[in-house]
Amino acid sequence: MRKTTLSILLGLLITCSVFAQNKIEFKEFKLDNGLHVILHQDQTTPIVATTVLYHVGSKNEDPERTGFAHFFEHLMFEGSEYIPRGKFFEIVESAGGTLNAGTNQDYTVYYEILPSNKLELSLYLESERMLHAKVDQTGVDTQREVIKQEMKQVMDEQPYGSFQREIPVRLYPNHPYNWPIIGSAEHLDNAKLEEFMEFYDMYYVPNNATLSIAGDIDYAETEALIRKYFSDIPAGKKEFKRPNIEIEKLSTQLEDIVYDNIQLPAIFQGYLMPKKNHPDTYALSLLSTYLLSGKSSIMYRELVDQQQKAVQAVAFPNDLEDGGMFLVLAIANMGVDVDELNASIDEVLESVKSNGIAEKDLQKLINIKETQLVNGFGSVASIAQSLAQGHVFYGSADYVNTQLDKYREVTAADIKRVANEYLNKESRVVLKYLPKPSDATE
Amino acid sequence: MRKLYIILLLVSLSFVANAQLDRSKMPEAGPAPEIRFGDAESFTLTNGLKVFVIQNSKLPRVTYSLILDRDPILEGDKSGMLGFVGDMMTAGTKNRSKDQFNEEVDFLGARVSASSTSISASTLTKHQEKVLELMADVLFNPVFPEDELQKLKTQAKSGIAAAKSDPSTISSILTSKLVYGTDHPYGENETEETIDNITVSDIKTYYDTYYRPNIAYLAIVGDVTLDQAKKLVEKHFSKWENKDVPKHEYKKPQVPEKNMVALVDRPSAQQSVVELTYPIENHLPSPDYLASQVAGYILGGGGSSRLFMNLREDKGYTYGAYARIGSNSLVASFTANASVRGTATDSAVHEMIHEIRNMKDNGVTQEELDAAKANLSGSFGRSLESPATIANFAINIERYGLAKDYYATYLQRLNALTVEDVNAAAKKFLKPENMYITVVGNGSVVSEGMMAYGEINRFNTVGDPERVIAMDADMTAEKVLEKYFQALGGIDKVKAVKTAIIEANAEVQGMKLGMNFYHDENKEAFSNKVLMGGNVMSNTIIKDGKASVVAMGQTQQLPEEQYEEAKLSMYIFPELHFESLGYSLKLDGIKEVEGKNAYKLVVTASSGSSSDFFFGVDSGLKLKMESPTSGEVLYSEYKEVDGVKYPMLMTISNPMIPVPLEAKVENVAFNVSIEDNQFN
Repeated sequence: MRKTTLSILLGLLITCSVFAQNKIEFKEFKLDNGLHVILHQDQTTPIVATTVLYHVGSKNEDPERTGFAHFFEHLMFEGSEYIPRGKFFEIVESAGGTLNAGTNQDYTVYYEILPSNKLELSLYLESERMLHAKVDQTGVDTQREVIKQEMKQVMDEQPYGSFQREIPVRLYPNHPYNWPIIGSAEHLDNAKLEEFMEFYDMYYVPNNATLSIAGDIDYAETEALIRKYFSDIPAGKKEFKRPNIEIEKLSTQLEDIVYDNIQLPAIFQGYLMPKKNHPDTYALSLLSTYLLSGKSSIMYRELVDQQQKAVQAVAFPNDLEDGGMFLVLAIANMGVDVDELNASIDEVLESVKSNGIAEKDLQKLINIKETQLVNGFGSVASIAQSLAQGHVFYGSADYVNTQLDKYREVTAADIKRVANEYLNKESRVVLKYLPKPSDATE
Repeated sequence: MRKLYIILLLVSLSFVANAQLDRSKMPEAGPAPEIRFGDAESFTLTNGLKVFVIQNSKLPRVTYSLILDRDPILEGDKSGMLGFVGDMMTAGTKNRSKDQFNEEVDFLGARVSASSTSISASTLTKHQEKVLELMADVLFNPVFPEDELQKLKTQAKSGIAAAKSDPSTISSILTSKLVYGTDHPYGENETEETIDNITVSDIKTYYDTYYRPNIAYLAIVGDVTLDQAKKLVEKHFSKWENKDVPKHEYKKPQVPEKNMVALVDRPSAQQSVVELTYPIENHLPSPDYLASQVAGYILGGGGSSRLFMNLREDKGYTYGAYARIGSNSLVASFTANASVRGTATDSAVHEMIHEIRNMKDNGVTQEELDAAKANLSGSFGRSLESPATIANFAINIERYGLAKDYYATYLQRLNALTVEDVNAAAKKFLKPENMYITVVGNGSVVSEGMMAYGEINRFNTVGDPERVIAMDADMTAEKVLEKYFQALGGIDKVKAVKTAIIEANAEVQGMKLGMNFYHDENKEAFSNKVLMGGNVMSNTIIKDGKASVVAMGQTQQLPEEQYEEAKLSMYIFPELHFESLGYSLKLDGIKEVEGKNAYKLVVTASSGSSSDFFFGVDSGLKLKMESPTSGEVLYSEYKEVDGVKYPMLMTISNPMIPVPLEAKVENVAFNVSIEDNQFN
């Protein structure tokens, strides 16, 4: 909860990965109250990562009450029936652990990494806040102020940070993805305590959660402890509000200027992606690697190295449950016109659309992906998260073991096809970031 | 318990099985796991290269890190050069062009990168030989292409420009300069000028001097055996020639005698980046190093520290507040920092000073110490998940002359610390009366409150003091104007200009604008036409004692107050008419305008509205005019027309236009006759 929303969002997607050679073994079971549990044993280091993924994100919010899911990412640290206010951090940190949480449009994730003999503590803490987190006026008032500072820090004062608001609001005309994860200060000001309590009762329940534990654990002992702490938590009774809306594609390109406290202009392009579990997401992920990853990637070579039009460029497939956004962004080099930069990006995209990619390039992309996947398994914390995500979004925790195969099934022709199908000029958002006048003469 | 009982009743049969669970008690920890870690294996080549091998076959990958152990270098007027060394080394070798090199590395899914003191590579085990060969190629055969340096320079300059709008970067440049001084390797920063000074031969010289095996460590971590590693290292690194490397020493930076407040004004900021900092001496081998880390943790180390609990959880001033007692072999710093709500800046500083002073004076509690020990032990344990940690341990022991069992006894030594040890460290390292208190934020919001902590010293966005320039005591506003007329070509010549036609061009977001000015002082008439594609978009007219604006077919007459101000633009050289218009003049010292010293003249009309005029101290010429209503105009590129100088470039910044508008004067004609219909 101390990272920026964006970095969490980027981080989670990158760690969602698979170990190429050894299979990740895991055990699964479900409690009567609907809590899904996934366990993975890894005894190399005496630590344990405990993760709870709630299937609630900003898309589940009332359009007049945006920011609730992220607000809970803060409130859930306020304490519980038996955990005094403000002691959550202290309990974990003074037990030799670390903790954090993250929110995106689709889910919220909480985790602790502790020495392995403190496993029970992490289960106690997570069960406390699932059973009876402290949702009261004092906590709401304090965290509202903290979040207003977070909004300023990550969106308003952070150069280009406002894209988190400006892209989705244009790209998703009819879907709750159109507001920023962090929400609106005004909505939070207007929200009453009862509304927060209602949101908690609806979504923070075992039948909307996945508990995933990886590390130096004993399977049987861990299962017994989980039953001890989680079985008595009642299942949620309310029906989850999940938007069931087909995202409307833009019928024409939306182009806008955003003035920000920046010195270097920038281009942010946003394209609509298919749903998260659609087979084309693998090809789109490889396409983004082709465009911008290492120094030999096409857009880095063209824009940053050869033409020197950009100081930095990123392509990022932000896949989401109901349809993600494929972002291409570039920060202009000094003195480079922002329209010229946009035209150069388009030129590279056009070349991929008409010429496709070579077989050798495809092999390179697979090699890069394989390395990324292996590196993603360097920590038990990322293994725990990948398992939970596999279960919630891809129908099986075993997703971690099949991911590389899915990438290997992608052909060069697929990449050309998805470039044409999704990186569509007619239905995209283009933001031109320009310096605000007050800063331009500083 | 009553409440819980009711909830449980509502659930299911599992109630019976779990009736024993008393949630009011936190669970006890099981027996602490043993934290074991192996030693690195090591060997040394005859050229002095020291190699550490940490075998770990959990994942099929290998990392090679080559590190140079040299003294920090003061770059002076070539600041930024060291930042280019790594990119220049990976920009092509005798065997591979840059594109070939990048393609080969990427194709393997590997990573090879370099800096002025390191080269590192990581890869899946199956490509390890090939990747080590690529790494050795970078080390031995770089060609340092000139065109690459030019690219790096352009990028660096863009980076310097971008940094000016990032409050955290501004803060870190400012604090580094204050804490270490600009004549110290940790305090100097790169500028456009120092970047321009860097040559390829500087980089080659650096490489020849410092890339030597006798000051290098190579760590090999991952899925590799000692034998394999030995063979590979001998094959690639035995031919590396050793040579003595120069040593450097620096003056120790001192803490300020008393607290010093430094402000960088960003009028657009809603938040303030606040930092409290000063230099300290503290490093791994210091006897109180561990105690200092415990003290730093309790003060501002995590989500339960005193600063975090106070500023975030209690007051809601900030998203996070942190402190660190740093450590470094040359010189380190103490720092406490937070990004806080602008209006709470002085209150936040107050609380931060209070927490620092309170810990120095009253120390820590046993409970805090126990929590800190557990936390630092825990993070030590977690760090072992990454096999690279063992390599760092081995290198640190060699590099800083630590005891051989420094890390083996780390947890033991940590656990032996007492409250007294930590309090002694807090007393030694915390200096609440000798800090730089820096704020990057909105000056008009924070200044008044911050004065409570001392006189406010103002700095610009690159951490240099806003210059306060001494002025001759006998200088007056009248003399400034006299000098100005002199510089234009002499007051008589200036006064003789009675009419003028000035044609200028400007570009706004790709649109070309024409701006034509017609002055006729004999008739007291003026017109300013803005043209786009040959059509008049707007026309500002002054005549017959009235001012009006014609735009989009509509005419609007300006009210009396605005006429007063507009009237000034009727004159070709308005400064000639200050006196007759009854304006009062005040000389307000010397300020900097675009890097030049300038006299600031505050010109106030009888209505009370005022404008600031700036005249170059050296040139005498008008450099800038600024007023709340018309924004800012910079004047430059003066050229002589009929013996009188006129600025050929006017840069106009105004809240009404998104980016500064550069009006280039294409044509100036003095004392020509102007037809009456120009003023209609």
